[in-house]
Amino acid sequence: MNATGEQHDADCALRMEGVTKTFPGVRALDGASLSVGRGEVHGLVGENGAGKSTIIKILAGVYHADAGSVSVDGEPLERIDPASVHRLGVRFIHQEISLVPHFSVAESVFLGQEQTGRLGTAKRAMRERAETFLAETLGVELDGRALVRDLSVAERKLVQIARALIDGRAKLVVFDEPTAVLAAAEVKTLFTAIDTLRRAGKSMLYVSHYLNEIHQICDRVTVFRNGADVGVVDLRQPQQPQVRVPEIIRLMVGRDIGDLYPQRRRSERTRDALEVAGLDDGHRLRGVSLTVGAGEVVGLTGIIGSGRAELVDSLYGLRKIRAGKITVDGEPARTNSPARAVRSGLALVPRDRRNDGLVLDMTVADNVNLATLEEVSTLGWLNRAAAGRRGEELMERLDVRPRGSHAVSRLLSGGNQQKVVLGRWLASQASVYVLDDPTVGVDVGARSEIYRLIADLAQAGAGVLMCSNDPAELLGMCDRILVMVRGRIIADIAAADTDHEHLTALATGGAEAA
Amino acid sequence: MSEPAVQTLPPTRPRLRQLAATPALRLLLARFPLLVFALLFVYMALGSEFFLEWRNISSILRQSAPDAILAAGLAVVVTAGGDDIVSGGIDISLPAAATLGVGILSDQLVNGRPFVLAMLLAAAAVIAVGLLNAALVVKVGLTPLLATLASWVAVVGTTKWVIDNRRITVDDPLINSVRDGTVLNVPVPAVFALAVLIVLSFWIHRTRFGHRLQASGGNRSAAEISGLNPDYFLARSFVMASLAAVVASVVLTARGSGLSPGIEERLLLDMVLATFVGAAFSFRRVVTVPGAMLGALLVKALGSGFQLLNVDIFKVGMVKGVLILIVVASAALEAGQRR
Repeated sequence: MNATGEQHDADCALRMEGVTKTFPGVRALDGASLSVGRGEVHGLVGENGAGKSTIIKILAGVYHADAGSVSVDGEPLERIDPASVHRLGVRFIHQEISLVPHFSVAESVFLGQEQTGRLGTAKRAMRERAETFLAETLGVELDGRALVRDLSVAERKLVQIARALIDGRAKLVVFDEPTAVLAAAEVKTLFTAIDTLRRAGKSMLYVSHYLNEIHQICDRVTVFRNGADVGVVDLRQPQQPQVRVPEIIRLMVGRDIGDLYPQRRRSERTRDALEVAGLDDGHRLRGVSLTVGAGEVVGLTGIIGSGRAELVDSLYGLRKIRAGKITVDGEPARTNSPARAVRSGLALVPRDRRNDGLVLDMTVADNVNLATLEEVSTLGWLNRAAAGRRGEELMERLDVRPRGSHAVSRLLSGGNQQKVVLGRWLASQASVYVLDDPTVGVDVGARSEIYRLIADLAQAGAGVLMCSNDPAELLGMCDRILVMVRGRIIADIAAADTDHEHLTALATGGAEAA
Repeated sequence: MSEPAVQTLPPTRPRLRQLAATPALRLLLARFPLLVFALLFVYMALGSEFFLEWRNISSILRQSAPDAILAAGLAVVVTAGGDDIVSGGIDISLPAAATLGVGILSDQLVNGRPFVLAMLLAAAAVIAVGLLNAALVVKVGLTPLLATLASWVAVVGTTKWVIDNRRITVDDPLINSVRDGTVLNVPVPAVFALAVLIVLSFWIHRTRFGHRLQASGGNRSAAEISGLNPDYFLARSFVMASLAAVVASVVLTARGSGLSPGIEERLLLDMVLATFVGAAFSFRRVVTVPGAMLGALLVKALGSGFQLLNVDIFKVGMVKGVLILIVVASAALEAGQRR
């Protein structure tokens, strides 16, 4: 089955063989296999729709497989339901952080497995145990009385992990895209925790889109494509990421995707598309100035709390500014509401596309035309045929699957939803595009198409401000990169003059600007 | 299984919320409801020396007991179903159920039925309403607001039919002793309310069951992922609330010396207000049993204070409304800028 040879069931924390699952009209899994060795951190990667989530949900007992076998710790499972896998010590760290906002850390950790004493729940004992567990097993000092809503995203993730592990019976921990919601520096905290668990002998299955993370923490990685496993790559052999990561990508997409980042002709910068001077909100932004030239792609990076998110909100009129000036195409822009921002020629692709970017129950065509309805309307009447045509045209250009502008947007995968949002703004022909984490949660294949689109926008003369925490993507796409720390832009460097380590160091305050 | 909701921040912030973001203002907001009530009570105490006399306080305690007990029941449902009025847990049929209990109890007592039997009949009817709500929400899948609105209408109709829409005056020694009696100088209705407070607080805030019930309402998907069944807790909460309504029906029968038709409407308003105003008094700014009961007490005390100060009865309603608005709005502003 794979290059590392057959393993006996007894050596496996998890072994799934020939798993098949069909949904109406779709074969989600087609004889997929996956095995995780004892004490191993095992990666699982694949494009959107490759079957990763389906196999995880089968293991969790949410779906039932049509065929195939599953054994945990050498013990074959006949019928899988959530209670039985839990009993066998399989724990899931779900992608979304599901916690009760007004619960304390201790209450959250012990949810569903509360300790009781003489006078009802043993609050003090639970708090002490939760604090000790978080400190010793996950390496983070947290007050057991702090409320979840007051914690950072990374801290919430750790609370979520603590809840899965507190009973001490976990043997296999499944992480489903754990870093999707985290900033670069917070990822480190999580990895430290995973390392501690590894030393404690826990087996882990780590599902992620981030190949550099997989490379960094996994021992082996299984690659899924089209509902089946297509290879296992051993990462323990000393190889450089430059060799390993392309190998994984090749397996994922089934072809060489050449260069992930498109070649761009860098033209002479003639005029500023966007100019921001002395932006200040009296709180998180402390006098931010920047320019984006027409035809230029400028990167903006900064960890959570750096003011990056606030800057984007301010540009788009979602946040009130106290001082400063925003100029679009030489005209002062009034951006005190999103509607005004759009009229001034700004377009924003928001970070949380499911919630902010799309009306999920409208069709793809309606969503694409949302920002620019007047162009397909006559005297206020929406021209359905024209709207549909334009939808089709854009879907074609963006390679959205499944094709068909009358599909309801909710049914598209994350990558394809993102393309629809981008498609809408392509239709708007703005002069400045602000893209907030345009590729978060998007698979490699869709990613290269999104990069191509961004390059096209710049080529057509628009200024692009691309906000991202992925240094590789910034280096691959941008002409210049701005780094924000604590409400200020501390570095403005040409992408050619910096590298991955340097950028990370700048953003985390670990280096002085060059 | 439903997809777990993604926790996201609201995309826009109203301007007032940004204003509320300075630290000093934030502290003021957090303490604002308490401050407003404290100032008002000082004002009332200064305006009328009678306000702080035990006779007045005990009258407030006596008058607010039924509202407080119903608010405690509603707080349980809100805790188990979430505090979104439209899609979360709410039981607006509680006052109607309690009134049905009053009607049956009064009717039976007047017809010479022994107290225990009359009480059992009344309790059975009130709990049946709770079971009906639980079934409508959990089995049929109606939202609590719709389900309990429907049962409100049905129960009010039933009460009118049972008692023929007339005033029933009860003169029963046990009911009279609840109305007039005291234990250690504390009026008996307040003792009932205190008992409800202790039982429900312990149940919701100190037991494993209560902890899980809170989680079900706090984040449904988090509860599901932890292996809990939120519907079970929501169903139980309707039944627990109906138990509170049983107690309330005894206290209400005593307060009104029987049944006056139409009392459920004013009870409904005061119950809902007290419960959500009460959230402003809890440390975590969420609906709790003690908060709801305190809310009922304070709202009633305000009414009494205004009466003592001879404020025009029509103005009292207006001023009360404005105060409640201030309290609820300050809690919303504080929650908004904490995000």
